[in-house]
Amino acid sequence: MGKRGVNRREFLKLTGTGSILAAAAAAFPRGVFSAEPKVKGPIKVGYQCVLSGTLAGYGEFHKMGVQMAVDEINEKGGIAGAKVEVDIRDSTTKPEDAIKNARYFVDSWGADFLAGIDSSGQVLALAPIMEQLDRVLIVTHAATEKLTEEWVFKKGVKQIFRNCTPTYQDSNAAAFVAKDFPIKRWATISPKYEYGFTCWKMFQQTLTKLKPGVTFETESFAPFGTTDFRSHINTILDAKPEGLYSTEWAGELISFVKQAREAGLFDKIKYVMFPVGAAMDVLEGTGKDLPDGVWMSARYFFLYPNNKTNNDWVARFQKRWNHYPAYVSETGYSAIYAIKAAVEKAGSKDTKAVIQAMEGMEMDSPAGRRLFRKEDHQALYDVPWGRAKADPKYPFKIMGEQVVIPASACFNRPPFEGPGSTPPF
Amino acid sequence: MQSIVHVVLAGLSAGMFIWLVASGLTLIFGVLGVLNFAHGSFYMLGAYVSFTLVKVLAPHFYLALLFGPLAVCLAGLVVERFFLRPVYRLELPYQLLLTFAFVLIFDNVVKLVWGGGALAPPAGLGPLRGSVSILGRNFPVYSLFVIAVGPLVALALWAVLERTWIGRIVRAASSDREMASALGVRVPALFTGVFVFGTWLGGVGGALAVPYVGLLTPGMGESIIIEAFIVAVIGGLGSLKGAFVGALVIGILSAFGTRFFPTFDMFLTFILMAAVLLVRPRGLFGAAR
Repeated sequence: MGKRGVNRREFLKLTGTGSILAAAAAAFPRGVFSAEPKVKGPIKVGYQCVLSGTLAGYGEFHKMGVQMAVDEINEKGGIAGAKVEVDIRDSTTKPEDAIKNARYFVDSWGADFLAGIDSSGQVLALAPIMEQLDRVLIVTHAATEKLTEEWVFKKGVKQIFRNCTPTYQDSNAAAFVAKDFPIKRWATISPKYEYGFTCWKMFQQTLTKLKPGVTFETESFAPFGTTDFRSHINTILDAKPEGLYSTEWAGELISFVKQAREAGLFDKIKYVMFPVGAAMDVLEGTGKDLPDGVWMSARYFFLYPNNKTNNDWVARFQKRWNHYPAYVSETGYSAIYAIKAAVEKAGSKDTKAVIQAMEGMEMDSPAGRRLFRKEDHQALYDVPWGRAKADPKYPFKIMGEQVVIPASACFNRPPFEGPGSTPPF
Repeated sequence: MQSIVHVVLAGLSAGMFIWLVASGLTLIFGVLGVLNFAHGSFYMLGAYVSFTLVKVLAPHFYLALLFGPLAVCLAGLVVERFFLRPVYRLELPYQLLLTFAFVLIFDNVVKLVWGGGALAPPAGLGPLRGSVSILGRNFPVYSLFVIAVGPLVALALWAVLERTWIGRIVRAASSDREMASALGVRVPALFTGVFVFGTWLGGVGGALAVPYVGLLTPGMGESIIIEAFIVAVIGGLGSLKGAFVGALVIGILSAFGTRFFPTFDMFLTFILMAAVLLVRPRGLFGAAR
């Protein structure tokens, strides 16, 4: 169908510039890998992200980051002397499509690595076949902790890695922030699927431990694709909570914020937390409608960390795409660099060698220093929580009053059961 | 009390959107016998075109509500005249395939023109921004406006179909195509007209949705078309009265479900549809054909 045509085009677009530069690099060898490439190229990465339907904007942001990494790496001589090639396919949000794409990448296209994937349901469907596919998969968006706790740590599927923050950032870190609020009664409006349920549960558990006496008054879960949140808002207002925790995200969070504002929710509930509120699409989509003082976080925020690596990257990204990077742009970009670091460390693109190289690997990235934890293959890096505030430099609200709960303090720890595996430690 | 009133209001406004989309769908099915999957795409086009026009024509937003749906009519005209007309004689699956193809085409057109990301217009519109307090809780003025527009459209449709000369011709052609044709009605032109008008209704729904939902995405037509189909089936395919009642029932039922039976809210509409189909296979107001 048309799908393949689009992908071929994307593929050519991604590799076109790269191949010319790689050819130039081959003609004038220099550097460590000039004599002969250690790793037989090209190194092929099968990347999938959502490019259709209501979340299509996320896929575009993934692509921007991935394409930048590919071009930069190939310009500088590739990975251990070998050129990187990326094919990007539409993952939709359906588990069966994620599996279909992964099989195509490995069986037909000859991928050495897999990366991407937005939905928790998709990664959980893909996990059981990863040993069979036997390629390293770097998950850049799906957040369910079950992927790394159960599939990597308990079941030992070593092919899976994740370089974005998981639900710990959304719930445990949120609880650390929330414990200092002078309130006790909480409620939620969250997505009616794995991600929404697991975050709310984890938030309740951690907050209860940190601040005994808190109560959770009501919960209203909205199915995927909800555009009208007015009934959910009524449910919350009826319960009269003091705090609202909501893992709504992307377009649904944008709709929700606007409708909640109309209904006066932000006047009645003073403490509101949006774990994925500082995502670029939400900040731009809500604009002035995002009330000042709302607490929010994301899996990366373009103004953090305020250091040269990040600021330079944001500037390059801005120059190339005329846009600030979304968090999936950063995780997509860093995933390609993680592959580079691992292959060069291993001196091979062989799956087993790469897994060994990646376990415990540390790397610099725009989001800061990332450490791939040996036991569960989860990347540890810090992302701040902060309060929405206006800034004349930006046409949207940014994160003010930043609070950083370090990943080492709020991420669950192996063995993921019994005391000592969930914060506080 | 406050809670119940607000649940009903939320249900009414949600129901009116489904009605605006379902009315065009029902009209086209009732007269042309075509199940138009692409109807949701006209809703989406109406939303996107109006969104752009609102920005261009500001502060005269009401002109956008007028011209946006008219632009969608052009798309409807092309689809009917050049693509749908040749397949009228074929079986239903061909029409479904063709209209489904247009769903994909329009989704991609929207992505090409407006980009794949979500567009987020401000909530409310011009003087219809803001909220009023009803029993001590804020309710958006714009939602009240939507609740008023729905019945007005229903009334206007009824008046045109039942009380005017053109309405008589439309009814004649829908009940017996050949006979109407033999009596001198230019059926193909009439069908084009009805299709374009149905498209316009979808476009109006889309235009009104811009400030209501506060978000435009390339897949927005697909979610509403499913609800509209459910409503049309519950009401009786081809029955406008049925679509109106069905939309109200589904809107209010969903609102109550979300508030009082959250575990089942995703199934309630489907349970209702199954129940109606079991008891009255042709829907609440469906005529035996």
